[in-house]
Amino acid sequence: MSELFPLKQVMGFVFSLVLTAVALGVYYFDMSFAVGMTVLLVTAFLQAGLQLVVFMHAGETEDKGAIYTNVYYGVIIALVTVFGTLLALVWDMG
Amino acid sequence: MKIDHSLPLEYSTEENRLKIFGFWIFLGAEIMLFATLFASYFTLYNRTGSGPNGAEIFHITPVLLETILLLTSSFTIGLGVHAMRLGRQKAMMGFFVVTLLLGLAFLGVEIFEFVTYVHEGAGLQTSAFTSILLTTLGTHGAHVTVGLFWGLYILIQVKRDGLTPETGNKSFIFSLYWHFLDVVWIFIFSFIYLKGMM
Amino acid sequence: MEFFERFAIPHPSIAIYASMVAAGLTMIAVIAGLTYFKKWGYLWREWITTVDHKRIGIMYLISALLMLFRGGVDAIMMRAQLAVPENKLLDAQHYNEIFTTHGVVMILFMAMPFIIFFMNFVVPLQIGARDVAFPRLNALSFWLFFMGAMLFNISFMVGGSPDAGWTSYFPLADGESVGSHYYMIAIQIAGIGTLMTGINFITTILKMRAPGMTLMKMPMFTWASLITSVIIVFAFPVLTVALAMGTMDLLFGTQFFTLDNGGMAMLWANLFWVWGHPEVYILILPAFGIYSEIISTFSRRNLYGYKSMVGSMVLISLLSFVVWAHHFFTMGQGAFANSIFSITTMAIAVPTGVKIFNWLLTLWKGKIEFTTPMLYSTLFIPLFTLGGVTGVMLAMSAADYQYHNTMFLVAHFHNVIIPGVVFAMLAGLTFYWPKMFGFMLNEKIGKWTAWLLSIGFLLAFMPMYVTGLDGQARRMYTYSESTGFGPLNMVSFIGAAIMAVGFVLIVYNIYYSVRYASRDISADPWDARTLEWATHTPVPEYNFAITPEVASSEALWDVKKKDHVLFKGDYEKIHMPNNSGVPFIMSCIFFAWGFSLVFSLWIPAIITTIGIFVCMTLRSFEKDHGHYISVKEIEDTESELRGA
Repeated sequence: MSELFPLKQVMGFVFSLVLTAVALGVYYFDMSFAVGMTVLLVTAFLQAGLQLVVFMHAGETEDKGAIYTNVYYGVIIALVTVFGTLLALVWDMG
Repeated sequence: MKIDHSLPLEYSTEENRLKIFGFWIFLGAEIMLFATLFASYFTLYNRTGSGPNGAEIFHITPVLLETILLLTSSFTIGLGVHAMRLGRQKAMMGFFVVTLLLGLAFLGVEIFEFVTYVHEGAGLQTSAFTSILLTTLGTHGAHVTVGLFWGLYILIQVKRDGLTPETGNKSFIFSLYWHFLDVVWIFIFSFIYLKGMM
Repeated sequence: MEFFERFAIPHPSIAIYASMVAAGLTMIAVIAGLTYFKKWGYLWREWITTVDHKRIGIMYLISALLMLFRGGVDAIMMRAQLAVPENKLLDAQHYNEIFTTHGVVMILFMAMPFIIFFMNFVVPLQIGARDVAFPRLNALSFWLFFMGAMLFNISFMVGGSPDAGWTSYFPLADGESVGSHYYMIAIQIAGIGTLMTGINFITTILKMRAPGMTLMKMPMFTWASLITSVIIVFAFPVLTVALAMGTMDLLFGTQFFTLDNGGMAMLWANLFWVWGHPEVYILILPAFGIYSEIISTFSRRNLYGYKSMVGSMVLISLLSFVVWAHHFFTMGQGAFANSIFSITTMAIAVPTGVKIFNWLLTLWKGKIEFTTPMLYSTLFIPLFTLGGVTGVMLAMSAADYQYHNTMFLVAHFHNVIIPGVVFAMLAGLTFYWPKMFGFMLNEKIGKWTAWLLSIGFLLAFMPMYVTGLDGQARRMYTYSESTGFGPLNMVSFIGAAIMAVGFVLIVYNIYYSVRYASRDISADPWDARTLEWATHTPVPEYNFAITPEVASSEALWDVKKKDHVLFKGDYEKIHMPNNSGVPFIMSCIFFAWGFSLVFSLWIPAIITTIGIFVCMTLRSFEKDHGHYISVKEIEDTESELRGA
């Protein structure tokens, strides 16, 4: 039975629950917007990285380089799109 | 069809390797799809018109429930792929069934949540904010729905054909999809719900 | 009768009725011809159900050429309307419809399929592969594109054409007629096909190259296709979402781009250009790839600065995603945001300039041979540079307040797209024609065409720079005589007419060459350098009987000059994918789905939605292991093609 529950994945699951609990802190405790956003950004991206490496086995084949490049490229363009849109339409809109 | 037995089933043919790689590229496109929804959501966040804002309609209980359901399903499908690599077909199918049931439960809670929103006066047509909120959540929910059918089809095929290079490949790709939906949910949970209730 | 009223066109004219008759007669002629010559079976078996990248490529080419003429007719009508002040040829509404469809058709249904035709036909051959990674997905991509294009093209005959510009800005795209519905839904269907093409080609290029072909030994067109595919994969989802939001606004009453309840029309403009600017580079990079192949072939030397060519394309792919706001400098954001987008925009000129210098230095000391493709390529360099320079002018946000929405802008983007993309397509078409069809296009007519198009282009668009700076606004259906724009607009019209003659000459050239060109040509008629010329003409179904082994980016040149051996070993049986009718059928259902949504016919919309999912379900359960071509068959085909 225990071979069906490898330690790496069980630990990954526990860690993801812990990250969720930490993120929940922004709801239950009073903190400034900046601190709250920092907590959320850190926990969300850690959580995403965890899924990618532990559960999705992104680095297990010879295509590792291309797969990570693909994901990083996507994340970079995604962030540029989100922040560029906010810059043009919200933050710097008269 | 050349089968390379030194590799896990899902990677064992050239075609299988192409499919897994292609699916990763597809997930890259999905990142941008959800990023566009998030960009629109943040832009329209304060544009509530005469409708309610996020803090007025978000409730922590269903959201927390959804998060735990989806996180657990992501864990169980990971165990399913692990069981598949051990050649344990029954165990693998068991984990996949649990995953799909958890997904179904998630969808149930989400539908309940949508009904509540509409009752609280936050329908699709109420304001820019509610439109983008329900569209973003709905896009994720639609992905989960498609995943439920897809997962069911794969289960039927594993039952019918056993663990073959084809079914193994399909199962693995499905697991990538499911994990990805979990990642998207984490961002929804953090930057739509928790940020909105902060 | 009330049901059918929705299909009537709200703003008819004699030209539209004439088009309806012409379209109807063409349909009848095609159906009658296919029946009379008993070609239905052939059409179904060899083309509609094909998964062969070469045939799919040729279908893209045919679609692109058809759309070129549709868009071209729109263009000539616009120039004719503006040729003299206060002209009555078209009214304002028709003019709006025509500039809208001209833009959409030319960008999405002409230029896109044209570059995808080259990617399909050339890339697998150039990397020594048997097909693309996902041949059936490739067929689905084509048919989705085709159905999307057809849905868009019937709009002016059924229900009314879109009239809010190819950018379809809200709130102008208000859904007063079904035109904007067509726009949102037809482009959505075609766009999904394009997205899948991007995924397919990244996988093909990264995973299926011939042994020995490392990334830095890929031919330049393959590099360009890879980078283009990357941009497609990350840009098209943005369009998907934007179009979905627009569709929901029009059909389901959401409030994304509306004027009250918090809606923000500017968000549409923003999302459109987040996709729209990378789209520009999706079009131009494959064009650059084609020019690189042609210039190096006809200079008889290797491409200068291979690494800087690759580096500049990678840089362009990243920069293309960070410049989009330069399309709406005047929308109201502050100087800070504009400055950032101004600087990134100007930065893009640097890698582009690097490429121009590389081509010039390839020509330098080359043994230049002026064939038709080479003529287009050498005309491209100065003409495109002119467009690039006016682009840098437009990039300056403060100055853009003067240029915005004037003919200056229209002149600029045609100045980069026509010499940049259209010339590359025509050069590439002439270059690859013998590989596709086994005979060459006539060189003399080809050169006449190139010169006519260049002269026509200069006459048509240079005057617009002047009238634009003088204040002639774009998208205005007429102007008064007192503006003084009349004479220069007449020059533009003459230029457009000369270009039209050039395009007609292309058709004549095809006709002439089909009849008179020699069929006795080698598999490598241009004395070229890369793998696609190393296989037979016509290219057999499996492309290469033996997978080639490569040592540099110019594998065939190595064979000619360095005694390199490409094909080692014996024939082995070859695994090939099976044909399938599902992509075509599924795309037909998509067409019906789109049509139902355009006219808000909910019951057919639900039925077709279910139909699409049924197709996907069938695909999931289907077992298709492809088929093998035996060694005997390969030997027979090879000896026949060798002419032995």
